[in-house]
Amino acid sequence: MLSWSGSEQGVEVDLSSVQASTGGVAVPFARELLDFATAATELDETVLVEKRNALLKVAGVAATIDAAAVVANFEMMTRLADSTGARMPTEVVAERLGVATAMGVDQAVSRR
Amino acid sequence: MISTSDVRQDLVLAHENAWAALSAPGTWWSGAQRIELARTALLAINELEPTPPWVAISTVAGKLPQDLSAPKTAHDCAYRIARHAATLTLDWYQKAVREISELAFVELCGIVCTVATISAFRRAAGLAPLEFSEVKDGEPTQIKPTNIVSATLNWVPVVSPADENAAVVQAFTAVPETNRLIWSMADAQYIPDKEMVDPRWSRGTLSRMQMELIATRVSQQRECFY
Repeated sequence: MLSWSGSEQGVEVDLSSVQASTGGVAVPFARELLDFATAATELDETVLVEKRNALLKVAGVAATIDAAAVVANFEMMTRLADSTGARMPTEVVAERLGVATAMGVDQAVSRR
Repeated sequence: MISTSDVRQDLVLAHENAWAALSAPGTWWSGAQRIELARTALLAINELEPTPPWVAISTVAGKLPQDLSAPKTAHDCAYRIARHAATLTLDWYQKAVREISELAFVELCGIVCTVATISAFRRAAGLAPLEFSEVKDGEPTQIKPTNIVSATLNWVPVVSPADENAAVVQAFTAVPETNRLIWSMADAQYIPDKEMVDPRWSRGTLSRMQMELIATRVSQQRECFY
């Protein structure tokens, strides 16, 4: 979805930057958004406060609330997918192999 | 600083409705069972040193209340989905639904998803956690769609026709009330369903690309292979 929304708007997305946490994506506040999302999925409150404040400073209250809502949504969707055994159709998996490779997901060892 | 009054009303309403439903009778679980399972999910999410995925939480002394109204298997499932979702397997699912019904399992997944998403939002935004409401008496409705079928794209059953929508979209359809609550939150938190095909859609705060950047990172952090 990230790659698609970027190409539709004429923005090149370096998916390896998502993997490497460099924030090198050509969208505003990419660094702050990635850091905030990462902190929100971990349990260090001090880091979360720091990253939330950094995002608030550059993006404002409404955008930070919407960022928190997107984090929350994918805390839901990942559990929904994993708990119901959701999988992509085989042909879609083949199509998306390039994305998986760019993000290093193809190198991940399944915990299943 | 973010205060509760800063939060969009559609988001507030979606969360309030889903949170309130946790303590009310559902389709296959009573209000007491639902709130009990929600507490177990919240425990799993917040524990600094969680029980590992191969250990059932019900076997660990002092973790759960003594007088459970939901089966221990349901609590074990709630804990593992909440904290170790990336470790779930078909074999694990099949063992679970030998002890709780497939549709009760679907509703249980919805309970965990509700707790996970609302607690994540409150914490990420720096808002105080919500308290659970008083349990509402009553019996589960046991409303079962007549057209439930097996799916190829999910291990849970779904409403027919199967596999015409994405696996995540059809996953909860066999328990319509769970499905409704979950997707009303998704509409408010992420993108309304009818806008999903528009890569330029925005609420005027984050662009679609910014939203997808966050989505990608969270999915990666949770090791979600979907």
